[in-house]
Amino acid sequence: MNVNVTRDRLPTVIVFAVLLAIPLVFFDPSTTYISRRFIRVMIFAILAMALNIIFGETDQLILFMGGIAAVGAYTTALTADALGISPWLTLFLGALFAGVFGALVCYVAARRQFTVIVLAIVTFASQMIISELLVGLRDITRGSTGFPFSGLQLPAIEQATGLGSYAIQFYVLVAIFAGVLGLYTWLRRSKYGLAFAAIRQDEFAARATGVDVIKLKVFAGFIATFVIGLVGPFYGQTTGIIIPSLYSFNSIDVLVLIVLVLGGLRSRYGPLVGAAVIIYIDNILGNFGQWRTVAFGLLLTILFLYFRDGIVPSATELLAERTPLGSVLDRGKAE
Amino acid sequence: MLARGIELLIDGLARGMILSLFGLGITLVFGLGGILNLLIGVFAVVAVIACSLILGTVPELLVAGLGGVAAVALFAFVLDRSVISLVYREEGEDRVLLGIFVTLGLSLLFEGLLFVFFAESYFLESSVSSVSLAGVSITGSSLAVIAAAGVLFGLIYYFFNHTYLGIATRTVIQDETGAILCGIRPRRVQSIVFVLSAAIAGAGGVLYALDAEVTPASSFELTTFAIMVSIVGGVDSIRGTVAAGVVLGIVITVAGALFGSYLATVTLFAAAIAVLIYKPEQIS
Repeated sequence: MNVNVTRDRLPTVIVFAVLLAIPLVFFDPSTTYISRRFIRVMIFAILAMALNIIFGETDQLILFMGGIAAVGAYTTALTADALGISPWLTLFLGALFAGVFGALVCYVAARRQFTVIVLAIVTFASQMIISELLVGLRDITRGSTGFPFSGLQLPAIEQATGLGSYAIQFYVLVAIFAGVLGLYTWLRRSKYGLAFAAIRQDEFAARATGVDVIKLKVFAGFIATFVIGLVGPFYGQTTGIIIPSLYSFNSIDVLVLIVLVLGGLRSRYGPLVGAAVIIYIDNILGNFGQWRTVAFGLLLTILFLYFRDGIVPSATELLAERTPLGSVLDRGKAE
Repeated sequence: MLARGIELLIDGLARGMILSLFGLGITLVFGLGGILNLLIGVFAVVAVIACSLILGTVPELLVAGLGGVAAVALFAFVLDRSVISLVYREEGEDRVLLGIFVTLGLSLLFEGLLFVFFAESYFLESSVSSVSLAGVSITGSSLAVIAAAGVLFGLIYYFFNHTYLGIATRTVIQDETGAILCGIRPRRVQSIVFVLSAAIAGAGGVLYALDAEVTPASSFELTTFAIMVSIVGGVDSIRGTVAAGVVLGIVITVAGALFGSYLATVTLFAAAIAVLIYKPEQIS
């Protein structure tokens, strides 16, 4: 094995070793509070990773992540309920539905050559429509009161391993995170990464050199919204209820944006670090009522004005300057 | 049946005029400087709260309303000189993105502060009494809104067509470089228009509170309505925004009465999406 490859994989090994150890060290079956916090970190890390793919790589700013997660969650839960089967069987149907919807929006946006702000507003308006429909179509969605949901459990594995349901859910989310991270790393290292960079720098020049911009934007849009739709039901499972307010712009989109910018746009581990920091801050602010909104507003403003580079890229840059370990991390960033 | 239809049209016209004012708040700032000001709803709510507080010391709603609008204009001036100036330093798409995120952050910040310090709901009682004419009953609040908004539109029209500053503003909207060559300072015009847009949104908020309860949570909803109206009207067209607001106000009011409020809201957002898909270049 090449020494460089081993060094490249070192951060990955460390990160996943820590993630796998978390339930064993911190989860306590008698109190679910801590477990839920860690599960929330993984959910927001995956959502931010999806935004990294679509916004970070192809400059398509989407503001309907909450709506897309709701599409995934409601499709999964309601279809399973209607057919009388486990939500595990309809999970990918929900994700696929969300992905196709997202891809369709990206297709229209790319064909009509939407600027960043046009796509942002179209997706924001779509989110409002989804929210209104979820509340209004109460015969199907049970309106603003929602419905209980806890179908994504694996009792057989819980019994076989002796781990609690929250630990299993955490590991499932770590597996999804690993999958998305692997996909993102592959995308960036393959010809897609080059094409994405070309689109970001100059879309018209990219077209002139033969890059199929529409296809690539739709591709990135499908992957991102598929992932968001896949995570949506797990988010509902965390609270035990699927309800429209859980998937609102303020509940999901704002947090995911802060997570991604704080962690580091276009960085591999930025979403995870950003999610850990933000959920920790959210946890502390939870006791202060509306001051939470004040703090997040202030954080978002300051981050965008003065700290757009993010924690992971800033830290790797600092480490690269001062320690030999930094050169390993820095190469990861450069990729 | 006919009387009910006319009543709905008049209520829709009043609602539409308020929507036009909110939409203008977005159109003026975005058309001029490329900043999608997500603070419009906050400005509207702050004006209502300030008006309510002033109403405790003065007997006239008109005086309190003007006081509320003045308070919002001062608030917007401070914001423009401090945070918004940092956004204007950026150029092109960077400014657009930074504008979205910074005004989003600020709107969360102020919405949270409003919740902490002014959490109750606010309603402004107009002294205009309802009028019955040939079987058509027109509510006092609708009459007050149509009269006040009519005067405001007249003033806005006069400003943009008959004052040096107004014409300079339109020049900067159409061609910033050309305006500089003519000796107009765009940043100064941008500041004045930012404050003006906040005042217009504030006035819209005060009129909105004559017919509906306003809470800090209303600010997000009002901002989204303002964006949608501005888009449907064309973000660099003042006349288009006013027309779009009136048409959408009537459509929402009639659709709300016929099909329920949620379908009316869906109609508004669907209209905005349809316009953007059909003519995306008008907001580029």
